[in-house]
Amino acid sequence: MKRRVGGLETEFGLVCVRADGNRALEPEEAARELFRPVVAMGRSSNVFLRNAARLYLDVGSHPEYATAECDDWWELVAQDRAGERIFAELTRTADERLAEAGHDARIHLLKNNVDSAGNAFGSHENYLVDRRGEFTRLPRYLLPFLVTRQIVTGAGGVAPAVEGEAGHGAGAQFVFSRRSDHMWEAVSSATTRTRPIINTRDEPHGDANLYRRLHVIVGDSTMSEVSTHLRFATTDLVLRAIESGRALPELGLGDDIAAIRAVARDLAGTAPLPTAGGGTLSALEIQQRWLDHVADLAEDSETDVLETWQRALDAVRTGDRGWAAQNLDWAIKERLFTQVMERRGIDLEDPSIERLDLAYHDIDPARGVFYALQRRGLAPTVLPEERIERARTQAPTTTRAHLRGRVVAAAQEHGVDHVVDWTTLRLTRQGAMPVQVMDPFATEHPAVDALLEEIRAQGAAAADPPLA
Amino acid sequence: MSQQSLNAPGGGPDENAPDDETLTGGQTFASVQGTDDLLDEIDSVLESNAETFVRSFVQKGGQ
Repeated sequence: MKRRVGGLETEFGLVCVRADGNRALEPEEAARELFRPVVAMGRSSNVFLRNAARLYLDVGSHPEYATAECDDWWELVAQDRAGERIFAELTRTADERLAEAGHDARIHLLKNNVDSAGNAFGSHENYLVDRRGEFTRLPRYLLPFLVTRQIVTGAGGVAPAVEGEAGHGAGAQFVFSRRSDHMWEAVSSATTRTRPIINTRDEPHGDANLYRRLHVIVGDSTMSEVSTHLRFATTDLVLRAIESGRALPELGLGDDIAAIRAVARDLAGTAPLPTAGGGTLSALEIQQRWLDHVADLAEDSETDVLETWQRALDAVRTGDRGWAAQNLDWAIKERLFTQVMERRGIDLEDPSIERLDLAYHDIDPARGVFYALQRRGLAPTVLPEERIERARTQAPTTTRAHLRGRVVAAAQEHGVDHVVDWTTLRLTRQGAMPVQVMDPFATEHPAVDALLEEIRAQGAAAADPPLA
Repeated sequence: MSQQSLNAPGGGPDENAPDDETLTGGQTFASVQGTDDLLDEIDSVLESNAETFVRSFVQKGGQ
């Protein structure tokens, strides 16, 4: 597909602590407090916003934000950041209410993927793919890319020490991605127990004759805009290559799950991974092969993507972290952890490092360590704050999100009750006809115009009730 | 030239950019100052009940 729609779902970790660090509220209670203004406004903890994103409370009391459908990956990064800001604001107001009520309690929302007991939660990428694109063929080519892309887009972190018999255990270790240890299958329909790299949930939120959904759940939640952008921009390029019908690099691995764990721990990127064909390839080789392969089909506007991808691979290959340590999450963290360990005379197993990792992912712009790095130019700032601010209330204008955003904004302004989801827009008054928009690329629709008229008319009628 | 413009969306090479040497020198200077300051700020986070905070963060899995 030349133009592709994608979206990012982020589940946030939630902890509410007293000043002494002990738990102040259970996650369920803290989530209820966090969502109070959402429920007051939308009468539900599952709402669509003016920017056409979905904000809700997921299983396990995880606040979740799903960006609207985007066809531009910088717009997606802006929409994702906007979600962080919206939740940061909800956190701030919840903390104020708790303080006013005399509670010693502070909520932290963490855009990471694992709690201190090892429970995992996700950052799910969705890509619209052609129905006729032979989905059965797709994983064979996509998997080696997804297994190894962590050397570019991993969030970095510390894999805990593993105890083993007779000294065969492994100490705590810095890894490209901790997510790799939570992957159990290559492709399946599971999401929680035997979590796969590619989930086969096929809800295209569009015409199912034309499209299907590719649900990639192997990714780490990334704080760096460069890392988040690369996740989507490089995966999109690889998908386009697979869809092109051209001959593709045969890089299939013998055991994807063994490989993904090995890649996470191999900071040089050179460990030999057994291939399905009986040879070996390293993570660097697989990434470089894909990068070289997609270079011909990239458009002029994507030159930056290819260059940034190459820089990321060079950082692993040469060990020169100069650029990476200010741009890619894993390398920013690697440098930061090293500095803090030296300064405090501690090792990776010290609880301070785990605390630091959590603080890196804290979405509070004032307290989060990622934002502290950003203010000092030690982490990238690609999008101006005004653009992120605008994305809080403005949907992407080049996809169906534009229509949803207009309906939600009009309904909110005119105080008209409404229900929307990804494809359907409806007023809640009795007898109201739902409007379905099955084309994710549609930005105009006569039935939506009529719906907007009706919303304005209802709003006017409510504001100016007839006499008698 | 800042890191921002290096990575700006759609931004190609900037002809007015200083040469590599100036860029590296300037960045290193800014980074050293920024890092010291940052590590001070991080100390305050780590010195207030780091281990207790970590233990408090236990939640059911999601997805």
